[in-house]
Amino acid sequence: MTVDILVPPLSQTADTLVIVAWLKQVGDPVTKGEILFTVETDKAVLEVESPASGILSAVLAEAGAEVKVKSIIGGIAEPGEVLMVVEPGGETLPPERQNRLFASPRARQLTLLKGVPLADLQGKGTGPGGLIVARDVAAYLEAQRASPKVTPLARRMAETAGVDLSQVVPAKPGGAITKADIQSSVNEGLGAPVPPSIPAISEPASPQTPAISAAQVVRLSPTRATIARRMTQSHQTTAPVTYQREADTTRLVKLRKRILKKLTEGTIRPTYTDFLVYMTCRALARHPALNATFDGERLELYESVHMSMAVDSERGLIVPVIREADSKGIADIAWERSRLVEQVLGGTIDPDGLVGGTFTITNLGTLGIDHFTPIINPPQVAILGVGRIREVPAIRKGKIRTRKMLGLSLTCDHRVIDGAPAARFLQELCSLIENPDLIWL
Amino acid sequence: MAQMTIAEALRQAIREEMIRDERVFCVGEDIGIEGGFGGAFTVTLGLSNEFGHDRILDTPISETAIAGVAIGAAVAGMRPIADVQYGDFLFCMMDQLANQAAKLRYMSGGTLSVPMVMRAPVGATARGSQHAQSPEAFFTHIPGLKVVAPATAYDAKGLLKSAVRDDNPVLVFEHKLLYGSKGARSEKGALSPVGDVPDEEYLVPIGEGVVRRPGKDVTIVATLLMLYRALGAAETLSQQGIEAEVIDPRTLVPLDKELILASVRKTGRLVIVEEDNLTNGWGAEIAAIVADDAFVWLDAPIKRVAAPDVPPPFAPPLEREYVPSEQKIVDAVLSIL
Repeated sequence: MTVDILVPPLSQTADTLVIVAWLKQVGDPVTKGEILFTVETDKAVLEVESPASGILSAVLAEAGAEVKVKSIIGGIAEPGEVLMVVEPGGETLPPERQNRLFASPRARQLTLLKGVPLADLQGKGTGPGGLIVARDVAAYLEAQRASPKVTPLARRMAETAGVDLSQVVPAKPGGAITKADIQSSVNEGLGAPVPPSIPAISEPASPQTPAISAAQVVRLSPTRATIARRMTQSHQTTAPVTYQREADTTRLVKLRKRILKKLTEGTIRPTYTDFLVYMTCRALARHPALNATFDGERLELYESVHMSMAVDSERGLIVPVIREADSKGIADIAWERSRLVEQVLGGTIDPDGLVGGTFTITNLGTLGIDHFTPIINPPQVAILGVGRIREVPAIRKGKIRTRKMLGLSLTCDHRVIDGAPAARFLQELCSLIENPDLIWL
Repeated sequence: MAQMTIAEALRQAIREEMIRDERVFCVGEDIGIEGGFGGAFTVTLGLSNEFGHDRILDTPISETAIAGVAIGAAVAGMRPIADVQYGDFLFCMMDQLANQAAKLRYMSGGTLSVPMVMRAPVGATARGSQHAQSPEAFFTHIPGLKVVAPATAYDAKGLLKSAVRDDNPVLVFEHKLLYGSKGARSEKGALSPVGDVPDEEYLVPIGEGVVRRPGKDVTIVATLLMLYRALGAAETLSQQGIEAEVIDPRTLVPLDKELILASVRKTGRLVIVEEDNLTNGWGAEIAAIVADDAFVWLDAPIKRVAAPDVPPPFAPPLEREYVPSEQKIVDAVLSIL
């Protein structure tokens, strides 16, 4: 039995005292009459004796705390009860000991034998000091026997729909509560308010609900699961804004043609993406705020550009990284890009080649897309979507000309990059694309 | 079937063994003198008339002499039943018991044996610190000694006869408040249980405990006087719907571990009661054995009810507080339910 430690009514003028210091720590043995703590009244500092012998099992008011007279500020347990000592705040306990459930060895053994999750017994201990003992496990099992079994799917549905399982009667007397039981409970209004999408749980629907039957259930590949997780993370944690703009690539197209003509046999042919990587690196050098990572608290800007490139593969989207792309020329970028794409498609990419990017370029132009809304690749803060190059009529110096226009879609995380800086970066990039000779500036 | 006190049962055991085997003799202080008590607690009363002073040997007041005679005679082939007036005096003969009696058989590779019985009264009975201890635990720690502690007339006779026939030194601890000594040696506040003792020959094997009261909620292990306190506590608990199983180990070395373990597996709870001081008593050993071999069966911490770690006090009110009471046993049980 734990004896409460009370604040003695030492002051005749004040209802509260201040704890000056505890002379014992939680877990220390104490003897009745021993000085346990000191308090400050409005007149003096006084010593307070322990009301009992045992183990100091709890301290509820730390030194410096103002406490009411006769309030409980701690407890003294019998030596046998030290099992139940909980450190204040759990700070001095190793992590695996925190939130430990106190159960007798016999109770633990029973839960193992009977497959009872010990956590289900939290707060249900009736032994000394709330210890979970064998009879508690027995009572739990008895309660389970009394209540019908629930299929995992039904349990999940009930949780989602807010259905109280104890109110559900299985259709088959003595049988388990199934999905159908939950559905009928929902229909009867037991679980309300319920969104209409309740039955749409990723499992083939039963014949009773033909309207939502799926043709195929797909088990997610690890890559797909990773993509799903990261996309969700991105959408849930960033504040994305997509800025769209067109760049005139007529000069760039000519430049690329000239370069391709000069290439020797066997050299990798630079793609428009390679040029865009090169130019983006130049633009990022003048707008370093976009070459960054942000984890919600810490914003880090990088000197080098490690360019992530979205690559479509059989396994799904894979994003290898060109290291220090800003220090590479067009030929080197092309070579590196070609090597990485090959590794991605061949499935031989080293996991290290997929991490550490500081900015991402993704290109859907070959598939006829002009603009889209790319999703940021966290913890990066910006991503550039590249569309197709198409010939459009454009007015130049009062005359209609044919120009080769490229759609660019830049998504930035508005948490750290406002609209104007994002637009300025895009402006800079377009300027470089439209005037490739300015690259020398 | 006869009704006997423990003192009478012990006396009958000695008589039967002395008749059965000529090598058996008694040695001790004032055990056979004319007009004496028959030892401190009347166990050997009248035996000198029957067997003469050659076989009921009175010694000077010298425990080392008693031990020396007994151990030497045993090594030489006799079967001595020695006694000390108070168990506390065993400490006088500690070297002889611990270094000689306990070890000769081992050290001689089995060539020598010490078939000696040493009887010792224990328990606090308003006689002060030097005539009141329960020192059984000291001797459980010495390999080579057997330790028995009979709490009934039946066990007293059966265990003493087994002890006489055992080829190892056996210490028989007897409780002053259980003897049922009469006349001038009757004890104030004695429990003096009288029990059935069969007319025919029987032995109680050394090393076998017994369940004194069956129960399902908690196991209480106790010997000697504490056994009766435990049974009383069990009765009180029973009125509250708590069924305690009370085990009397009867022998502390060798210990009937299996009996205790089986009971704890059933009840999940263990309270050990001993009259000795708490620290490093035989109760601690039983607690360790159970924690080791029946850990997963425990549903509560193991509790020991024992005397506090001070010498037995002289003042009767303090002594009453010192010796574990029924109430303390009840409280210990309730604290783990």
